[in-house]
Amino acid sequence: MRSVVLLLLVVALAACSNPREEVAKQLANQVLLPAHEQWHASNTALLDSSRAWCADEQAMEDLKRVFHETQTAWARLQPLMVGPLAEGNRSWQVQFWPDKRNMVARQTEALLDEFGDLDQQQLDGASVVVQGLTAFEYVLFDDKVAIADNRERYCPLLVGIARHQQALSAEVVDLWRQPGGMLEQLTRFPNDRYASADEALGGILRVQVTGVDTLKKKLGTPMGRHNNGVPQPYQAEAWRSRHSAENLLASVEGAQAVWERIRTLVGDAQLAGDIDAAYKTVRDKLAALPAPLMEMVQDKASQPQLQSLYADLDALENLQQTDLARQLGIQIGFNANDGD
Amino acid sequence: MLSRLSTGGLLLASLLLTACSEEPSATAEPAYDEARARLVIDHYADMALAAYSDALSEARELRGQIDTLLTDPNEETLAAARQAWRDARAPYMQTEVFRFGNVVVDEWEGQVNAWPLDEGLIDYVDDNYQAVMGNPGARGNIIASQSLKIGEQQLDLSELTPELLASLNELGGSEANVATGYHAIEFLLWGQDLNGTDAGAGERPATDFATGNDATGGHNERRRDYLKVVADLLISDLEAMVAEWQPNQDNYRAELVADSVENGLRKMLFGMGSLSLGELAGERMKVALAAHSPEDEHDCFSDNTHFSHFYNGKGIENVYLGEYQRVDGETLSGPSLSDLVAASEPQLDDRLKADLNASEAALQTLVDSAANGVHFDQLIAPGNAEGAATVNRAIDALVEQTASIEKAALVLDIQALNPDTANHSF
Repeated sequence: MRSVVLLLLVVALAACSNPREEVAKQLANQVLLPAHEQWHASNTALLDSSRAWCADEQAMEDLKRVFHETQTAWARLQPLMVGPLAEGNRSWQVQFWPDKRNMVARQTEALLDEFGDLDQQQLDGASVVVQGLTAFEYVLFDDKVAIADNRERYCPLLVGIARHQQALSAEVVDLWRQPGGMLEQLTRFPNDRYASADEALGGILRVQVTGVDTLKKKLGTPMGRHNNGVPQPYQAEAWRSRHSAENLLASVEGAQAVWERIRTLVGDAQLAGDIDAAYKTVRDKLAALPAPLMEMVQDKASQPQLQSLYADLDALENLQQTDLARQLGIQIGFNANDGD
Repeated sequence: MLSRLSTGGLLLASLLLTACSEEPSATAEPAYDEARARLVIDHYADMALAAYSDALSEARELRGQIDTLLTDPNEETLAAARQAWRDARAPYMQTEVFRFGNVVVDEWEGQVNAWPLDEGLIDYVDDNYQAVMGNPGARGNIIASQSLKIGEQQLDLSELTPELLASLNELGGSEANVATGYHAIEFLLWGQDLNGTDAGAGERPATDFATGNDATGGHNERRRDYLKVVADLLISDLEAMVAEWQPNQDNYRAELVADSVENGLRKMLFGMGSLSLGELAGERMKVALAAHSPEDEHDCFSDNTHFSHFYNGKGIENVYLGEYQRVDGETLSGPSLSDLVAASEPQLDDRLKADLNASEAALQTLVDSAANGVHFDQLIAPGNAEGAATVNRAIDALVEQTASIEKAALVLDIQALNPDTANHSF
């Protein structure tokens, strides 16, 4: 008798096969966790490379290449940053942007003046401004640092930042994988975080939409959209390494990976097609930018190209934030950019 | 026996099937009584009117104290002017919940409360002053200058008028160029806070406003003019905003009440959530804390930040509860969002009220800490774990209440929260 009931239950559950639960699971296992692990791997590579350069066993070009890969992995992860990395000030430890007052230079130099032989504990206890990729970029690319001639001063910091990042990403990946961790919370419902797959999917979509909104800010701020059209080149993300556009592209790719899975839930073929096209347009235009963003924003002739890219990002955001959210019956909620 | 059990199983199965249905179950009943909701929106406008009117009357008090200071500049008259500025902030900070969502406020706000500023645009600064990179006006020093060259443009500064000062905001395209509003007045009354994350606020001497032999600072007639003019401009700006909220006029309020109830409720909720999360918890607390940056403190010259944050929080609570205590002590009370939410989901209403209480208590600890001599800029100092915990508790409480605000919006059938994009279609 009991087996009959059990059988009925199994049949019932199979019949259910909630497509949203299925998509949440796919996203967690095939998109979100792998992106976190890729980011962790890039931090490990950065640590190895920093040590090697500081031991004079690697060329600066190689260290810079590895650093770019870390930036890219982090940029791709941002629209996928649901859960542990978004909590506390973890993500703030990875990057400090915008940095209008050049806090990164001031705080980095002040830290190294205070602690001649910087140790890990001192760095781990310091401000987020000096713990992340922004400070690493400053050391590697700022003319004032002249890293090649000042290895002794800056190497403890370079290795320290890479180690800090690697420990941070190890902790985050562990928070995903541990029993009852983020992966489980995105795949078994209800749990402490999500009452249902719907809620989980809403959470993922919200982070992804916020990620696209942040891209508008990252493009619009240096363009001067908040400054009467006067360009603000130093407010471009990653302006020192001239990596802004590459970061934007990686973030769009991350956002699109979420969309590819959610797409299966959208009954409106016209809407799905519009969103596909919007991603393609934005990616094509980003890939076609002929010069670093901080240079383009200062060049009058480049304005139409940047304006049209901004308009396309805006269109993409609205398609997802309004039309897609409505189609799925998901409330996007507030994000950290509201109120700017 | 068997049949009973299988019936149970079937019942279970049908429940599961219902649970995984894709369509949200259609509610036959509307989310709220429309006539009642109209009263809520109208009362919201009444609260805005009362709060802006209070901000205006307190700004006029401040203007009076500034006159007294300029007539007889000494430490007592300076202290009285500073206290009047602090008093003026209490109602103003409670109006900020009206800023997000109501475009008329958001567009007006820059001239009134823009922050953080490169104060070197206005007056003398310390050698170690750090301005925004690439800001051409960062050391403009309007008080010491008869003219200013920005790029190709030569500006005549010889006569300080409200129009001139207003035109200098965002000079050269930098939002850090703030020539007007509460924070410009704050800088003139206190001067730079050179104590970093240690104890102490700005220490401008009253003699910076003197004209006799004891005068300090230089260009004192200009500084005196500047202070009067910038306070006058604040008053006229607040007068304009009070006029926007008067009933039965051709103004913003008329638009708001003529619009759909849904849009009105959306604006109320968007103001609450945006101030709670992005602005107060994020821009005004988390940035300063994470970077240990006193320059990102809201009231960085006066060290009055604890009260600014507290009254921001109070404003959010006011809008939800439909209550506002005026500066004369009278309480304005009326139909509220809380009533609408309680009518369909009393548990959520209780939850949100509890969240608002919790965030108020957490923000109160910032005020208590300041009363004990430890101000916001000391709480965010590197190595101050206890201070960081105090600020983080306030941030966490605001984040939590924002989640309940979102749920309240859903109860009122509002999914898209941003009024700018809610009606967007392609």
